[in-house]
Amino acid sequence: MENPLIKAEMVEATEFPKLADRHGVHGVPHTTINDGQANVVGAVPEANLLAEIQRALG
Amino acid sequence: MPELLNAEIKKQVSDLFAELKDPVEIIFFGSEEKCTYCADTRHLAEELASLSEKLNLTVYDLQADAESASRFKVDKVPTLILAARDGEVTTDLGVHFAGIPAGHEFSSLIQSLVLVSNRDSGLSPQTREFLRGLKDPVHMQVFVTPT
Repeated sequence: MENPLIKAEMVEATEFPKLADRHGVHGVPHTTINDGQANVVGAVPEANLLAEIQRALG
Repeated sequence: MPELLNAEIKKQVSDLFAELKDPVEIIFFGSEEKCTYCADTRHLAEELASLSEKLNLTVYDLQADAESASRFKVDKVPTLILAARDGEVTTDLGVHFAGIPAGHEFSSLIQSLVLVSNRDSGLSPQTREFLRGLKDPVHMQVFVTPT
């Protein structure tokens, strides 16, 4: 919502098992950024997610 | 098809929808091909759209409306996009739900509808500043299960 370059997609893992497998999803929520450039398992506080976005873009 | 939302849930959701400010276009993509949850997801979107005048639903088919799918970068069905609508202009703010938003994700869907309607992410000023400065695409995918 803050930048047109950003897309946030909920993915229901059981309906898209191939995609979930490709990202090694075992526990949920599991967040992947830019197709695996960064991954976070569990709920992510805002600041941590920013750090992961930076890591993914780095 | 029987209703997915019972009277009590509809009442709760309607109360939350009372704070909707600006119109939201709920964009649904389904498919005639094998899609276990397309019918339920579309039905859910129809029921939600009926609960507020601020909400409108547009229905597309992933194959038949391939041009729209490409425009909204949709490659999964069912997908729901919560887009901002201002007059004739619909803007995809990047809020997508792939698969049926059931269980916990139903709450996420309702909360997201409120955020999009208010055109306010609710993020901290520091976060907003950082995000607005981004020059490269960021695609976050949050995997969930319907529990």
